[in-house]
Amino acid sequence: MSTIPTAGPGASPSVNKRRPKIDAVSIASFIALVVTTFLMLLPLFFMVSTSLKSKKELLTFPPTFLPESWQWSNYREIFDTLNFGQMYMNSLIIGILTVVGTLFSSALAGYGFARYRGKGSNLWFMLMLSTMMLPYPAIMIPQFILFSKLNWIDTFLPLIVPAFFGSAYNIFLLRQFFSTLPDELFDAGRIDGCSEFRMWRQIALPLSGPALATVAIFAFIYSWNDLLTPVLYLSSSDKFTLPVGMSSFTSSRFRIPPWHLLMVASVLAMLPIVTLFAIAQKRFVEGIVLTGIK
Amino acid sequence: MKKIRIKKSFTLLLATSMLLVLALSGCSGGKSAGDVVPGNDGDSANSGGQVTITHYTIDSEDRTFIEKLVPDFEAQHPNIKVKVEKAPYEQFDSKLQTLIAGGKSPDVTSHYGYGGFAEYYNKDMLLDMNDMIKEDGFKASDYSIPDDLMKIYTVKDHVYGIPVNMYVSLMLYNKDMFDAANVPYPPSDYEDKSWTFDKMVEDAKKMTHVSNDIAKTQYGVDFTWSERDMRPLYFGAEPYSEDTWTNGGVPSETHFDSPEVIAAYNKLFNLILKDKVSPTTEWSKSVAGQNGDAFVTGKVGMTVSGSWSLAGSNDFPFKVGVAAVPAGGNDKVRSVLFVDPLLILKGSKHPKEAFEWIKYLVSDEIQEKSIELSGGNPPVNTKAAETYYKHFDGIDPADVKKVYEGAVEYGFESYNHLITHYSQINDMFINEMQPIDTGHNTVEEVMPTIQKKVMEIIKR
Repeated sequence: MSTIPTAGPGASPSVNKRRPKIDAVSIASFIALVVTTFLMLLPLFFMVSTSLKSKKELLTFPPTFLPESWQWSNYREIFDTLNFGQMYMNSLIIGILTVVGTLFSSALAGYGFARYRGKGSNLWFMLMLSTMMLPYPAIMIPQFILFSKLNWIDTFLPLIVPAFFGSAYNIFLLRQFFSTLPDELFDAGRIDGCSEFRMWRQIALPLSGPALATVAIFAFIYSWNDLLTPVLYLSSSDKFTLPVGMSSFTSSRFRIPPWHLLMVASVLAMLPIVTLFAIAQKRFVEGIVLTGIK
Repeated sequence: MKKIRIKKSFTLLLATSMLLVLALSGCSGGKSAGDVVPGNDGDSANSGGQVTITHYTIDSEDRTFIEKLVPDFEAQHPNIKVKVEKAPYEQFDSKLQTLIAGGKSPDVTSHYGYGGFAEYYNKDMLLDMNDMIKEDGFKASDYSIPDDLMKIYTVKDHVYGIPVNMYVSLMLYNKDMFDAANVPYPPSDYEDKSWTFDKMVEDAKKMTHVSNDIAKTQYGVDFTWSERDMRPLYFGAEPYSEDTWTNGGVPSETHFDSPEVIAAYNKLFNLILKDKVSPTTEWSKSVAGQNGDAFVTGKVGMTVSGSWSLAGSNDFPFKVGVAAVPAGGNDKVRSVLFVDPLLILKGSKHPKEAFEWIKYLVSDEIQEKSIELSGGNPPVNTKAAETYYKHFDGIDPADVKKVYEGAVEYGFESYNHLITHYSQINDMFINEMQPIDTGHNTVEEVMPTIQKKVMEIIKR
């Protein structure tokens, strides 16, 4: 019986422990990296700074770097202006369930495409991939009619259930990863009397942490940012998601948008994504590197 | 055997997750627009059951205020329930199209998105209100709606929309900049013959300072009179054929490459390129953001825009005045009217109840009440207009009144409401005219292409 390699993505060959030499090139590149980092962080900085400005200060030109007076009350005001807590909750529920659905269905389908060869399996795979080429607006109306016949309008179902039927991109990503797992593992499992489903659950999945983390992050970000689908399917204000609620700030052609509140909302909306990325960062990068997909 | 087990556990897992989805999403069953809820058996007041109508609008405070009117309306009409359905501006048209295609058409709406009345009309989305008006005995004069405005949304003697709000184009000016440059304020009276386009350019020159330091740069005027394709009209050149205004917005021909139209555009672009009293699009974007208005930053002396800018004027960080749009060479038209109608969609299951709701919204009392509730929406109702003129802090109501009355006198309904495929025409204009703005192409070079493309779009 072959041993299960600890290898996997995490372990790396022994690192060269010699101290790196500090020379002019590395100093220069360090400075360049720091400068670039600051440039990248500048928009974020303005987002936070604007979120603490007063309505009058928003319109001053040139814009101020730091707020003249720090309006922490903006962070309270957002909860009075919008049904912010409720929207946050709705977005979270939809996001988490989408992740569950996507992980489950895409991992199953990806596993199937990676492990089983049969007549026309490539054809099916191509067919599945070709669905990536259909832009959402093309299927928007037929899908709406379908869900409306099921009486699912103004519920979260049309936003969650499709995730349980896989998504081509994620299936592809996971298939690539599953293909790299050595056949011996599964042969060994089979000899020991392992069922197909159990091989998926107890051999393939535990070895696929990075790929699954990648899929989870992609699925969550997609669902978290999605605007058009919730706009189409949700009609009661108490079911609105964050992007729908936030877009109402800029919906009036007739008013100056309350940028400060929009920035407060953006700061708060960014938190789950940043947290998720911070937690899964190591695995996320591995997942992308190993599957060769960006 | 094994296969069956796999199947079983798979089904179980899927079923569990689906149940979870159902449970968490708070499945609320079908609540479709236009469902008839049977009245309580014992309730004799409800003859024929209760009916729900949907009013589809933009999710912004100046539109959703109608929710506050619903309880009062429902109290007066116990058999009608009103549901307000909202969408962001950008997605307004997509959602409307999808709702209609999916058989969930709202009952009442307006052309609040990119598409205008003519687009809706030509897509056959609108209900002809003639029969209802006849049956009901509705008369525009009973609702203080001027007859001229009723005509805007009447095509071939069929009424398709009841006007509810009327925005006009007007000039806003920055009093602080005028004071600093020692220039007298522009007049609000349209009959003041000294107030011409050339005089405006002269005043603008005194306030313009172009400097390498973007913070010190300021411009005299931003002349954004209507959308790009309508601007020749201001100078007396008419780019669309006359039949456009009577046949539902399908021009038989256009004249965007005619010498008059080209001359008109040259006059406008000279504000930026030759006189240098107006900002380029790039500059405006750099100080005011993607869709922002540079005027609100206090860096532009005068702006010609729609009266919706008035509603935000209380927040501007400087003193604001209103003035007449200067005379540009067209004796009849100096102002653009943006009249928003209430429309009943063809897919409405309860048009009669929808009409009741529309009548309620345009009534004298509600029109007056709506000004405050909406934060300054201009009513079409001539009685409520007096209240509207007084709504703006620091701006003389007499000026607002003069500007409004002059604008109606010299007004023409905005092309974006009247011409079919308008959103595509407008996008094309923005793209094609960009090189003129930046000085890469001349008006003469660009207009033949525009003329060709407009005709292509219209024929689609």
